[in-house]
Amino acid sequence: MAEFTLDCLGEACPVPLMKTEKKMSELSVGDVLVVSIDHSCAMKNVPEWARKQGHNVEIEEVDDGEWEIVIEKAK
Amino acid sequence: MKEFFIKLGDHPIYKKLLKEPLTYVAGAVLLSVFQIAHFTVFQKGWGVTSTFAVWGTWVYNVLGGDAGSWAYYASEKMQQELHTSFLADGGSIRNLGIIFGALAATLFASQFKIKKIKTLRQVVAAILGGLLMGYGARLANGCNIGALFTAIASFSLSGWVFGAFLLVGAFIGSKLLAKYFM
Repeated sequence: MAEFTLDCLGEACPVPLMKTEKKMSELSVGDVLVVSIDHSCAMKNVPEWARKQGHNVEIEEVDDGEWEIVIEKAK
Repeated sequence: MKEFFIKLGDHPIYKKLLKEPLTYVAGAVLLSVFQIAHFTVFQKGWGVTSTFAVWGTWVYNVLGGDAGSWAYYASEKMQQELHTSFLADGGSIRNLGIIFGALAATLFASQFKIKKIKTLRQVVAAILGGLLMGYGARLANGCNIGALFTAIASFSLSGWVFGAFLLVGAFIGSKLLAKYFM
């Protein structure tokens, strides 16, 4: 049940999604990944991808134009 | 006052309309409606990058160049483009509209942020990518708006050909991205 972070601030699509996909494959079930983004279209495609994979996803708006996507690896 | 805005920010209608992204279908429908309206009003399809070429030529001419003799500007219509002013040029106004519209949308959603540049690599990639995009758009006589979206909407085969090669380019681009940015 470890928690990992991924800093994607200042990075544009599709880099945040590619980095998230790669990082998630290294995690074990039950681990949590917190992805920091400031690119609004990553706020759509990263959670969309993660939900499609069956993970639990939560989005937090931490500041103007800045989000944390919390993904719990479900399988 | 601050409390009012915090309350407003939590209002479901505000969130739905201004904060949350539209669905892809809603976006597609709106784009179609607006491009039909554009065609009806201006008798011309929507395009973006031809205007950039004209802007570039204005600068070039101000610096002492003579682009008027180029084959690109041989037609009467293009000659006119060379001598029109910014505020009288529909294409220039429309492109400004895209920029101001995007700014207004992020401000309404309270999502405006000046992003930090992370690495020098990003700068190099952005400049190289911008140059290649501009160069490619001129060779193809349009970008993904003029040569793809508008062309397909006008039942032109060229739009589909452009689309096929766009996919080839995107494939190569994503390989490069994975190589240099991962």
